[in-house]
Amino acid sequence: MAALSLLSLLLLLLLPLSLLLLLSLIVRPRPVKIPIKDRHVFITGGSSGIGLAIAHHAAAEGARVSILARSQSKLEEAKQAIQLATGIDVATFSADVRDFDAVRRAAKEAGPVDVLVVNQGVFLPEELAKQELDEVRLMIDVNLIGSFNMIKALLPAMKARTDRRPASIALMSSQAGQGGVYGYTAYCASKFGLRGLAEALQQEIIADDIHVSLVLPPDTDTPGLVEADQVAEKTLNGIKSGSFIVPCNFVGYLLAIATAGLSPQRSYTMAFVEVVGAGICRLAGLFFQWNWYGSIEKWHAQSKQ
Amino acid sequence: MAALSLLSLLLLLLLPLSLLLLLSLIVRPRTVKIPLKNRHVLVTGGSSGIGLAIARRAAAEGARVSILARSQAKLEEARQAIRLATGIDAATFSADVRDFDAVRRAAEEAGPVDVLVVNQGVFVPEELAKQELDEVRFMIDVNLIGSFNMIKAFLPAMKARTDRRPASIALMSSQAGQVGIYGYTAYCASKFGLRGLAEALQQEIITDGIHVSLVFPPDTDTPGLAEENKRRPPLTSIIAGSSGAMKADEVAEKTLSGIKSGSFIVPCNFEGHLLAIATAGLSPQRSYIMAFVEVVGVGILRLAGLFFQWNWYSSIEKWHAQSKQ
Repeated sequence: MAALSLLSLLLLLLLPLSLLLLLSLIVRPRPVKIPIKDRHVFITGGSSGIGLAIAHHAAAEGARVSILARSQSKLEEAKQAIQLATGIDVATFSADVRDFDAVRRAAKEAGPVDVLVVNQGVFLPEELAKQELDEVRLMIDVNLIGSFNMIKALLPAMKARTDRRPASIALMSSQAGQGGVYGYTAYCASKFGLRGLAEALQQEIIADDIHVSLVLPPDTDTPGLVEADQVAEKTLNGIKSGSFIVPCNFVGYLLAIATAGLSPQRSYTMAFVEVVGAGICRLAGLFFQWNWYGSIEKWHAQSKQ
Repeated sequence: MAALSLLSLLLLLLLPLSLLLLLSLIVRPRTVKIPLKNRHVLVTGGSSGIGLAIARRAAAEGARVSILARSQAKLEEARQAIRLATGIDAATFSADVRDFDAVRRAAEEAGPVDVLVVNQGVFVPEELAKQELDEVRFMIDVNLIGSFNMIKAFLPAMKARTDRRPASIALMSSQAGQVGIYGYTAYCASKFGLRGLAEALQQEIITDGIHVSLVFPPDTDTPGLAEENKRRPPLTSIIAGSSGAMKADEVAEKTLSGIKSGSFIVPCNFEGHLLAIATAGLSPQRSYIMAFVEVVGVGILRLAGLFFQWNWYSSIEKWHAQSKQ
C-alpha cells in the first residue's frame, strides 16, 4: 500500500512536470532581452504622470530619451525636472497624437527609435446614457487612433534600423482594458481596442525583431508620485523582458491570468501558472460579477427611495 | 481498501458538484428570456449579409422589423427579399452610422426599439505597415464609433419604454474580437473595443432590464467576406486558416438564440465556443452550467491557445525564411 501511494505521488508530480516541460518547448514568441541603455526611448504623454516617470527611469538607466506631448510649457517643465533629477537632457517634441502630420514631423525630427512607449491617454468617466458623444470620440481618438498614428509614423524607421538588436513598442493600456467597469464604456472600448491592435501587430512585426508590450496599470485619474514610479518600473522591466502582457501589481497578475485568452506568452513558467490558475481566476471573476451586480442592484434600490 | 477508494470517489464527485452548486448561487446577472414576437427589432447593416439574415429570421419569428443601412436601393432590395421570404414588410431607414444626426433622425422615425442589433461593420485586411490610416480610421469609425452612435440614439427610448419586458442590445463582434490575427490590427482593435463597451454598458443598463449580447461569428459567407478576400495578405490566410465559412443564416439563428436567452457572449460554432471559454476573462455569465464549463475548461483551453501561438509564430517564421530566398 505504501508502494501504491508512492506511485500515485510520483504520478502526481509527473503531471505538472510534464506540463512544464511541454510548455518550455512550445511557448512563442521566444524569450528576448531588450536593452535600453544607450538606446533611443520615445515616450508619448511624456510630460506628466506615468509618462514622465517612465522618462525619468529610462534616462536614469542610460537611455537617450525623447518625450512627446501637446503643451510646449509642460514639456519644458518635464525636461527641467529630469535634468535636475538625473543630469540628463531629454529631447522634447510638441504634437497632438490625433494629428498624423504633426506626429510624422516629430518622428522625422526625432530620428529612429528603439523603444516606443505609446502612453498618451485621456479618461472621462460617465454613464454612456449621460455622456456627450464628443467625449466618447475624444477618448477613442486620443487613446486608440492616436496610438495607430504613433505606430504608423515610427514603425518604418524601426523596421529599417541598422542596429539589429531587438526593439520594442509598448502600449499603455489599463486594468480597464482587461475588464469592463461601470461608467467607462468609451475608456474600456479604447483600452480593449489596444489589445486587439497589439495581438495582431505582434504577429506582423515579430520578423523585424520588434516586440510588443501591453502595460496594464490600475486605474487612477492622476497617479500619485509613488504609484507612477511603480508603474514606470514595471513598464521598463516588462519592455526589457519583451513581455506581451505587463501587469503592475498583484491584482493585475490575477487579472492577467484570468484574461490570458489567446495572448502570446514567452515565459514557460508564467504559461504554467496561466494553465493551472486560469480556472480559479475565472471563478474569482465570476465572484466579482456577483459582487458588482449585487452592488448595482442595491444602489438602484436605495436611490429609488 | 475498497472503502478508501469509494470514499475518494465520493470526494471526487463532491468537488464538481459543490462547484456547480456554488456557481448556481453566484452567477450574475440572473438568467432572462427576451421574447421577439410582436416586438420591435432594428438591425443595422440590415440590407445584406448577416444583418439581412437576422432581419429575415426575426420577421419570420413574428417580430416587427426595421433595417438601417446607407444605400436606399439596397434597402429596397432587402425589404423585397424579406417580404418574399416571410410575407412581412420591414421598415427601412437610410443613414450612415458615422453620422449621429442622421442616426438620431432614424431613431425618431423608427420609434422605440425593443431589440437593437448593432451589426454594421467594415473590414479591410492589411499589414499595418502597409495600410493607409484612412482605412484604419474607417474601420474604427464604422465598427466602433458607429456602434456608440447607435446606442446613444436608441438607448433613451429603450430606457423609457412602457413595455417593461426585457429588452436587448446586441453587438456584432467577430472571432477577430477574441483573438488578434496577422493583417487585422484595425479590425481587431474595433472588435475588441466592442467588448470593452459591452462589459461596461451591461453594468450601466442592467437595472433598466436591458441585456447586452456580444456575437462572435467566424468568417461568414457574405458580400463583405467576398470583398475582404480580395485583399487578404497571404500570411493572414495561412494563420486564419480556411476553417470553412459559416452561412449568414446560421449566424443569424445563433444571434437570435443568444439574444432571446440574454447571453452576454454568443459564439456561433464549436470553435467559437472554445474561444469563448478561453477568453471568458471578466465577462458576465448567466448560465451556471456554462460557468462550470468555463472554470473547468479554461485551463486546458489556455494550453490550446498556447499551442496556437506556437503554430502561428512558427508559420510566420517559416514564411519569412522562405520569402527571403
